Amino acid sequence: MGHSDGDHGSDLSADDSPWSEGSWSDDDDEGSLSFEDSGEGSDADSDEPDAPAVEESDSSEDEVAPRNTIGDVPLEWYKNEEHIGYDITGSKIKKRDREGRIEAYLRNADDAKNWRKIYDEYNDEEVQITKEEAKIISRLLKGKTPHTNVDPYPDYVDWFEYDGKGHPLSSAPEPKRRFVPSKWEQKKVVKLVRAIRKGWIKFDKPKEEPNFYLLWGDETDTADNKRQGLSYIPAPKPNLPGHEESYNPSVEYIPTQEEIDSYQLMYEEDRPKFIPRKFDCLRSVPAYEKALREGFDRCLDLYLCPRTRKKRINIDPESLKPKLPSKKDLRPYPRTCYLEFKGHNGPVKSLSVEATGQWIASGSSDGTIRVWEVETGRCIKVWNVGGVVHRIAWNPSPDRHILAAVVDHDLLLLNAEVGDEDAQMKTKGLLQIEELAQEEDNGDKKPAVKWVKHEKFDGIMLIHHKAVSTVEWHFKGDYFTTVVPSGDSRAVLLHQLSKKHSHHPFRKLPGLPIAAVFHPSQKMFFVATKKFVQVYDLQKAQLVKKLESGVREISSISIHPGGDNVIVGSKDGKLCWFDTDLSTRPYKTLKNHSKDITNVTFHRKYPLFASSSEDCTAYVFHGMVYSDLNQNPLIVPLEILRGHSSSDGRGVLDCKFHPRQPWLFTAGADSVVRLYCD
Amino acid sequence: MPKHYRPAGKKKEGNAAKYITRTKAVKYLQISLATFRKLCILKGVFPRDPKKKVEGNHKTYYHMKDIAFLAHDPLIEKFREIKVHRKKVKKAFAKKNKDLADRLLNRPPTYKLDRLILERYPTFVDALRDLDDCLTMVHLFAALPAVEGERVQVQRIHNCRRLSHEWQAYISRTHSLRKTFISVKGIYYQAEVQGQKITWLTPHALQQVLTDDVDFNVMLTFLEFYETLLGFINFKLYHSINVNYPPVLDPRLEALASELYALCRYMSSGRVPGNSEPAGLIEDKEDEDNKESSKTDESELRLAQLQHQLPTNEPGALMHLVQESTAADADDADAKECRSLFKNLKFYLSREVPRESLLFIIPAFGGTVSWEGEGAPFDETDEDITHQIVDRPTQSHVFLSREYVQPQWIYDCVNARIILPTEGYIVGRVPPPHLSPFVDNDAEGYIPEYAETIKRLQAAAQSQVLPLPSLGDEDMENSLVEAIIDRSESNEIADKKRKERPSQIGRQINQPDVVDKSDTKEADDHMEDSHKQAEKDAADISKTLMSRKQRGLLQAIEINQERKKDKVNLLKKRKKNADSSASAKGR
Repeated sequence: MGHSDGDHGSDLSADDSPWSEGSWSDDDDEGSLSFEDSGEGSDADSDEPDAPAVEESDSSEDEVAPRNTIGDVPLEWYKNEEHIGYDITGSKIKKRDREGRIEAYLRNADDAKNWRKIYDEYNDEEVQITKEEAKIISRLLKGKTPHTNVDPYPDYVDWFEYDGKGHPLSSAPEPKRRFVPSKWEQKKVVKLVRAIRKGWIKFDKPKEEPNFYLLWGDETDTADNKRQGLSYIPAPKPNLPGHEESYNPSVEYIPTQEEIDSYQLMYEEDRPKFIPRKFDCLRSVPAYEKALREGFDRCLDLYLCPRTRKKRINIDPESLKPKLPSKKDLRPYPRTCYLEFKGHNGPVKSLSVEATGQWIASGSSDGTIRVWEVETGRCIKVWNVGGVVHRIAWNPSPDRHILAAVVDHDLLLLNAEVGDEDAQMKTKGLLQIEELAQEEDNGDKKPAVKWVKHEKFDGIMLIHHKAVSTVEWHFKGDYFTTVVPSGDSRAVLLHQLSKKHSHHPFRKLPGLPIAAVFHPSQKMFFVATKKFVQVYDLQKAQLVKKLESGVREISSISIHPGGDNVIVGSKDGKLCWFDTDLSTRPYKTLKNHSKDITNVTFHRKYPLFASSSEDCTAYVFHGMVYSDLNQNPLIVPLEILRGHSSSDGRGVLDCKFHPRQPWLFTAGADSVVRLYCD
Repeated sequence: MPKHYRPAGKKKEGNAAKYITRTKAVKYLQISLATFRKLCILKGVFPRDPKKKVEGNHKTYYHMKDIAFLAHDPLIEKFREIKVHRKKVKKAFAKKNKDLADRLLNRPPTYKLDRLILERYPTFVDALRDLDDCLTMVHLFAALPAVEGERVQVQRIHNCRRLSHEWQAYISRTHSLRKTFISVKGIYYQAEVQGQKITWLTPHALQQVLTDDVDFNVMLTFLEFYETLLGFINFKLYHSINVNYPPVLDPRLEALASELYALCRYMSSGRVPGNSEPAGLIEDKEDEDNKESSKTDESELRLAQLQHQLPTNEPGALMHLVQESTAADADDADAKECRSLFKNLKFYLSREVPRESLLFIIPAFGGTVSWEGEGAPFDETDEDITHQIVDRPTQSHVFLSREYVQPQWIYDCVNARIILPTEGYIVGRVPPPHLSPFVDNDAEGYIPEYAETIKRLQAAAQSQVLPLPSLGDEDMENSLVEAIIDRSESNEIADKKRKERPSQIGRQINQPDVVDKSDTKEADDHMEDSHKQAEKDAADISKTLMSRKQRGLLQAIEINQERKKDKVNLLKKRKKNADSSASAKGR
């Protein structure tokens, strides 16, 4: 507590001091000076009676004592008074009249002795110092004695002389210890001696041995010249300077001002570390300010960077590309556009080729279905169905000219009205339907499918409970399947044309169904969901296989005519080839398209398959499947077919092969159907 | 259960056992981090990347064998001893036991690095292979200010200077310098010693500033190793040409450097000027060398001594050297070419040129050189001087017998290996661009204009074997003449060109092919496009079969090529712009 009190007190005084300094500082200084001088001031007065006040004091006052008798009181007290104090008789001493600054300055400027004048505030008079006094002051300021003749450090003269006196100063007897050798000293000496003897302490400086010698002598012995320890990875050498680092680079290496400005917009790591500059001559090149820093960075790299051996491949990029067999050997395949079928007013969403390959049908989002003659490119039939045609499929049986088309939500079966009379009759017979048959079927739930006669086109309408996405025929032409993606347990439906009967065999599917296809020769059924392809045996009604595609979303599926190979197109532009005998995973995944694949298809006869995509291209591949089970299928990309133009971000929407010829039909979003031939 | 669970009593396996993080390594070795760093630097131990980073991705890993290698090094014990010694001294001072402190300070524990060098570089070639960083660092420190009280000891800077001069003296003596390049960062040199290309950078001969953003402890540790390494390498190299190392200097000369100066002056004044006796001349040179160096620097003194020591003190050795080198050169035309590049040429350096560098380069290529200032072997007034190197706007007094060139000329000649015409390098002119000899222009895909000029000159020189190829010379002259051509002349030329142009166009029109196809130009374009597309398709089609990894690799290569092409295009564009603006100015 006391300590803190003390602190407080000192604090207070510290507080006080500025005030006192502020008011007194000037006075103090001059006062002190005057105080020193006051003794000798009288001499000066007597010598040079300059000021009248001084004269006055001379006449009336005693020489030694100060004129003013107020004592050591603050002069502040007399600040506002007429007088500055009292003389020895008690009468007031009047203040002198203050002269103006300018006058004082003028007077001082003229007077050469001005520097010796000092104002004595205590006595209110001006005192002039003599030269001797000035000398004394200067000596004092230097810290010497005031008078020159004083020697502060005289040689010491001993006043007492011991020599010849014969007796000590003290009469006490010498103690014994003065005559006995010190035990501790001896111990110390013994210690030192021992240390010296044993060589613990050495006095001579260590000899300088030659620093350098022939370190690498005979290098013939290779066994010795192996580095011990782990494999040494030498640090990579620093990059050698290029033309741009020259002090005088050619003009093209110096960036323009705009380019330098544009560096500021770059990310810090992309920004060039070094901006070339040009100097006209060698003498104007300054010291490189980052020299030390770069040296240091190199040091850090050397001892802090993990070193690993990286194989830097310096190869021709062409050699990375796989060698393909000559395309000539793989002919025929569609290469060039031979025909364009023009007539639709909107994107052609789907097309289908008749079993004999004489006609094709195409459905468009302008609400029409057209049938074209392949050879001539003539449109021979148009149906205006009044809704977007999503999918169209021609009955694969050559004597049943029935078109199955997905119009808006539902499926429409049409008589294509082509071919000879017999076939026409047969088709018409198939498309007859009794209206009353299905009324009794109506239970508490809305039926999955209703077969209704379509009056206008003389066909059958299959009204589904939800929107249909695809339709696919069985190879015999009697059965067909539709997929209702949002149909839950009734998503995949099987229909029989001859009996006008539908059912939904699959209760549960892993994910949304995308497409469903029949096996081309056996009683198998493929359902493609978003990521998997399920293979069912229809006879045993059980799941046979589950193919994992590994793609994000399957968009289309096609089965090889042999039935063992499946290709799947995905919405991320990948095409997967499954060899179902080999594995449930893709035998090969090809990333050929930059956008969604819309359709994939196999050729019936030739070893060809194709994919069409939204990026306005269609790829044609050679896909040979060998009967030898040991040999893997051979896949060779053959041709990129271009020609369709993009419309509304969509490209080629469908592609189908001709059943007999190596021809490919593509349906584009630009409302054109193209035929590519060899 | 944690991810890397290991049952109790089971040893660590795989990466967990093989690699150790830095913190753990420091603990394992029971040393401080600073000592660990020093140890790693001296032993050349570096972190390694394990395949699987068990302790986390952001940590540094050392191989356990490396750490064991450190643990078995006697240096660790030495470092501990030094630490203990420091403590003892401190304690002695604290106890005011000055005697003990002095005794301790007299014999501090020291260590040597020669064993480490042999361990890291079992053969001499290994050491040469790793010499780049060493030389760069030593030269950098040689350029630092030798001021007492800075963070670097003056003694070490002097040592660095001495070592670098010794190295340069060897390179110069054996003519093994190959390439030089003045960059903004300093001057690069490339020498070939025992088949190893060694590149190093020397800062410009200006005072470097010691910055605060570097850790001098680390740099000085590196320097400690490099100094020792370079010392041993110099020893070996000097040994190989039968010269003593370290160059034996008279201690009296060293101590009385200033008195030596007066002595040498006296001696040179007493000697008959123009002494034709070669040995005398050389001696004279040595003396003056001594004089010069003594004046400037102690280390330069050593260099000068060394220089004279090489030829004179051991004439037999020199003969030996010559024989050896001729034998070696039988299969090395390069060295021969280097040695005779500046033969019969006499150079004189003005005050303002970088003397140290040129004194190194010119003798390395067989030239004789002197400089302005005290102790030069010959004077500016010497009649035999063929070239004077100056770097000033104008030269007031001109000797007609010699050529006044800028220093860049020397460097360009050295890189081109021919004596280039001096027109472009005359005093006061902006010299032609200085090109890097380290760039393979063909690989880069862009050849600067001046590189082509030099190539032509080289070709001419090779075919004619004359020192100054006339063809190239003319070319050079042409270009130079064009630059300063009269306005009227240029107008004439322009007129001529204008006249020429229509005739050319006419010729083109007359060609039947062009006329035929001009109508169907649009169709042509379209066809061309489709052809191009087809070609591209044919090239790309096999990409579909590539695996993702390969496709990525291919893409990376393609991106890289594209970037390179862009760079070249940018250079071409800039060149075009510069040319057009220059021609606009010309008109």
